[in-house]
Amino acid sequence: MTREERFEPDIIGFLCNWCSYAGADLAGVSRFQYPPNVRIIRVMCSARVDPIIVLEAFTRGLDGVMVLGCHLGDCHYMTGNYYTETRIKTTREVLKDAGLSPERLLIDWVSAAEGERFAALVKEFTERVRKLGPLGDETDLELQQLRTRLIAAKATLAQERLRWLVGRERELVEHENVFGEKVSQEEFDQLMLQTIEKEFAKRRILLSMGEDALSVREIAQRVEASPGDVLRNMITLERDGFVSVVGIEGSSPMYRRAGR
Amino acid sequence: MAGKSEAVLVIGGGIAGIQAALDLGDMGIKVHLVEKKPAIGGRMAQLDKTFPTNDCSICILAPKLADCFRHPNIALHTLSEVKEVTGQIGDFLVRLRRNARFVDEEKCVNCGDCAAKCPVKVPDEFDMGLRRREAIYPYYLQGVPSVMAIDREHCLYLTRDVCRICERFCTREAIDFEQKDTDVMVNVGAIIIATGFDLYDPSGILQYGYKRYRNVITSLEYERLICASGPTGGHLVRPSDNKPAEKIAFVQCVGSRDFKNNRYCSSVCCMHATKEAMLAYEHDPRVKSYIFYMDLRAAGKGFQEYIARGERDYNISYIRGRAAKITEDHDENPIVWYEEAESSKTNKIAVELAVLATSLMPRSDAVDLSEILGVELDEYNFFKTDPLSPLDTTRPGIFACGCCREPTDIPESVAQASGAAARAAEAVSR
Amino acid sequence: MKEVRVGVFICHCGTNIGGFLDVPGLVKYALNLPYVVFVQDNKYTCSESGLTEIKNAIAEERLNRVVVASCTPRTHEPLFKSTCKDAGLNPYLFQFVNIRDQCSWVHMQERERATEKAKALIGMGVARAALLEPLEETAVEVNPCALVLGGGITGMTCALSLANRGFDVKLVEKEDQMGGTLNRLYKLYPTGEEASKLVRAKIKEIEKNPKIEVFTTSEVEEVEGFVGNYDVTIRRGEKKRILSVGVIIVATGAETLKPVGMYGYDGENVITQLELEQMLKKGRISAESVVMIQCVGSRDEKRVYCSKVCCPTALKNAILIKEANQDAQVFVLYRDMVAQGTTYEDYYAEARETGITFVKYSPERQPVVQNRSVRVYDELLGEEIILPFDLVVLSPPMVARRDSANLAQKLKVPVDEYGFFLEAHVKLRPVDFATDGIYVCGCAHWPTNVSESVFQAYGAASRASIPMSVGHVKTEPSISVVDEDECSGCGLCEMTCPFNAIRVEETEKGRKAKVIAASCKGCGACGAGCPQQAITMRHFTDEQLLAQVIPLAEAI
Repeated sequence: MTREERFEPDIIGFLCNWCSYAGADLAGVSRFQYPPNVRIIRVMCSARVDPIIVLEAFTRGLDGVMVLGCHLGDCHYMTGNYYTETRIKTTREVLKDAGLSPERLLIDWVSAAEGERFAALVKEFTERVRKLGPLGDETDLELQQLRTRLIAAKATLAQERLRWLVGRERELVEHENVFGEKVSQEEFDQLMLQTIEKEFAKRRILLSMGEDALSVREIAQRVEASPGDVLRNMITLERDGFVSVVGIEGSSPMYRRAGR
Repeated sequence: MAGKSEAVLVIGGGIAGIQAALDLGDMGIKVHLVEKKPAIGGRMAQLDKTFPTNDCSICILAPKLADCFRHPNIALHTLSEVKEVTGQIGDFLVRLRRNARFVDEEKCVNCGDCAAKCPVKVPDEFDMGLRRREAIYPYYLQGVPSVMAIDREHCLYLTRDVCRICERFCTREAIDFEQKDTDVMVNVGAIIIATGFDLYDPSGILQYGYKRYRNVITSLEYERLICASGPTGGHLVRPSDNKPAEKIAFVQCVGSRDFKNNRYCSSVCCMHATKEAMLAYEHDPRVKSYIFYMDLRAAGKGFQEYIARGERDYNISYIRGRAAKITEDHDENPIVWYEEAESSKTNKIAVELAVLATSLMPRSDAVDLSEILGVELDEYNFFKTDPLSPLDTTRPGIFACGCCREPTDIPESVAQASGAAARAAEAVSR
Repeated sequence: MKEVRVGVFICHCGTNIGGFLDVPGLVKYALNLPYVVFVQDNKYTCSESGLTEIKNAIAEERLNRVVVASCTPRTHEPLFKSTCKDAGLNPYLFQFVNIRDQCSWVHMQERERATEKAKALIGMGVARAALLEPLEETAVEVNPCALVLGGGITGMTCALSLANRGFDVKLVEKEDQMGGTLNRLYKLYPTGEEASKLVRAKIKEIEKNPKIEVFTTSEVEEVEGFVGNYDVTIRRGEKKRILSVGVIIVATGAETLKPVGMYGYDGENVITQLELEQMLKKGRISAESVVMIQCVGSRDEKRVYCSKVCCPTALKNAILIKEANQDAQVFVLYRDMVAQGTTYEDYYAEARETGITFVKYSPERQPVVQNRSVRVYDELLGEEIILPFDLVVLSPPMVARRDSANLAQKLKVPVDEYGFFLEAHVKLRPVDFATDGIYVCGCAHWPTNVSESVFQAYGAASRASIPMSVGHVKTEPSISVVDEDECSGCGLCEMTCPFNAIRVEETEKGRKAKVIAASCKGCGACGAGCPQQAITMRHFTDEQLLAQVIPLAEAI
């Protein structure tokens, strides 16, 4: 492939002011060269990066996103990067559910003294995303389908229940609850994965419904899932007020989005 | 007499001096921060990581450097020294010598064009002689103020009246060979000494082979080698052949707890040796370290846990026994001969690199400074303070904090520095 | 919305940027960006002339946003912000674009692509600038009164330091007299000064000082408020009183572990160093053969830490015993002799010279206290020895006070796994808490000796005096803001924030999160995790961040 034909990944990096941004600056001062594919957005703490923002970046067509913070234990704001860790970990899982490679989202820790390491990291990540190809290449989805998936992913990460779980990981895993019980990391991870899967499925369903009144079978066709699974989700969605039953056709209930 | 002053002089721009200056500045008190070197940062800037958290030293130091530089109440005097002090508490008159930098601090943007052209190459002091620098140089890359300085001892123009290439290539016209050393008088109400420490030169202990064997180095040289922004980019390699070192010996109490040299304990070496061994392992999990110690002194917060972690997770063996001597084999591998404390048998271990934990000592100019300030030194030449009034020197209005008082670690130096600030603030508010 | 007029200043930085990027190309590009009404390139934007040009442009072009594309905001943003301020433009309407340290310097061989990147970066910067809002720093007044909890040597030293500087101090002490642990000590090492003398002198100073109000036999009931404005309820018996203070200093000291069940401790023949102090104080020591055992209940699995003061204390007391009775046999069984620094090593030598015998034991083979003798394996001799005794003195560690966790909860500050108060940063903020306005010093923080407690006390005094000296605490305006209509009062933000800067409170609308502007650092951890997305981070809003997320293809 000639230079003109080579795919150049488009990457945005969120770097925290105190460590990673300073590390990137040091790379500059020391003249460590790296490919120009990444454009940096400065935040005060990596914990500022709401997963929704990451998904929005992918929705807009970015091929890769980097989130870099201070080394664990060194966060300028004490505990911020621990939250970053859970949030980005969760976001990667959601990307997986959406069919995208989680490798497009990098989370790493770079200190203010690691100029050379920053440059190496950027080089490595750029190559990794280059191999993955433009966003969506790893799926066999059409552009419109990919977009829908990404919107569902973003909605999943905006979901109250999921955000609550993400925010409580540290507390649940490290401290006891009021009954003196601790949640093990494995248990928590499993719970998180289940929640992500459930929420993502529900978001996809809602997105697929549009303004239409649909039966369970019709919805199942649209999202390519089993009617049994869809029914279970419709029940929950109805209970939570996201959909309502607007009629019956034959023996199946017809659902419509409740405009929430 | 100059008159009562509410300003404070802080001598020394290491972490202790910086902390004292920042506290005073934040209180609204004017501070003159005097630093001998071209940039502030001191010893802490030379370290890679610091115990017991192993966080990056310069990362936590740099914001403080920037704060000092920008602080409206702190006047930073780098490349400066205290030459004379008269007066008394509340009203000291101090003569500062501002040594010429030969670079205009307002104009220089630290672009490096000058250094790229300078033909002189000399051992770099900050990097412990492990690298060479030019005669026009930044003291260290993240140093504050972020400007160059010209080394008058090696600059061709300043010593032999030739060259001046740097001047030609500076697009900012920041080079100024007309600069002169100037004296400045400041009037202060209190003085804080925070001049830090020097390290024992182990060439005096012939049996350790320092300077004779290339792979026997000091702990500060090791710190520069393992530091990401050091002369080898953080790759721990042996000075003799640039190969990675997989077996390292850390020899403690070099020049301390020693009737011939310094009787006192250097306090921080048990911990920093552990840290250094941990860093080596982090860089390369094949590394095996041996720490030869006498008494393990790890009494600070989290220190015992740190040592336990070192033993458990970082492949460190603690051997109780003073190293008697170091020799080397034909591959320049140091061989450490030691007496096992428990069995009283002598034993030896061949390693690839030996690191001497050299004792923290008073600065070589402590005696001169103490005379200028009119304060007493203790028998070791540390600034003398009363154990029950541990920040006060023997002269009212002059306080001391950090390693210039006694070997101590960073958390204690910082607490002491804040303490000295409180004492100084009390002195000027009478 | 008022018309947004953006001025863009692109710096050559000599040849540092100009030599690697097509700056005229950047100028042309910037002129075509929405909202941009003025573009200029400078040799050195940060020079006097460059700054003047910015100021002139703000006035002449009626700019209400300024974008500078040059080096790095970490060094130069404050300079440009204050330049804007000088020209009458709110400094929060300034945007920095890094095209040197993160562009020209790292893509030195790729002029074209680096220029493309710089264009995109400038586009991102302008997009954000257009969304910036003017923000005002506000200030919260600080009550120049300090509350010191604990009337031991640490608390008293701290109180006196602050009072000497003219601040009002309320000193609260649990016991009925001041002095704390020193009241139970005899002589101090290494000077040999009597603890009671030191305490009496300090108490006298305190009593003489009109600025210090002392509350003995009193405890903390409740703490409300935030930095500069704390309301602390203290209780003495049945009576309660609210003290309004600006800062709080914790100097509550520590206890000593009672080695129940260890080494046959019985308080008579097997006692602690503290109990020995009492005996020495009363002059009642008639033992001929004393065996001291170090590291009793410390440096083990349950308590890993070393209590620091026990070795020098043992040395001191051993020397005192020998001074009282030259013929007494004293053995000190130790694991490591912790005699650090310049003074204690000599002290150790002195102890050896007076004939005190030191026996090293290892934790695997602990000494055994039998009826009248101690059996111990001497690691250095390599054999077991039997030491007859008429007194065994144990050195248990200092432990956190039983009520420290309770106090920590009231103050909303953390404690570590051993119950000692946990500071903001182990290295660089050893006497601060992460919560602004509260400080800690002395043994409440970690086992330590008198010298170190004293300089920590001064250290805490210094730190606490800063907000009080200034008189107010500036609130950075780039903080979090809660939309109460969206907030469900779930409390996740309160859990997330390490600075105690956002708390759920009762309001007319129900339980809502409230931001304490004076304590908020603007990190965004709360906002990015709020389940209702009810929190906005000023100056780093979602919109301002997303405005910068422009794919390259769109940008250039």
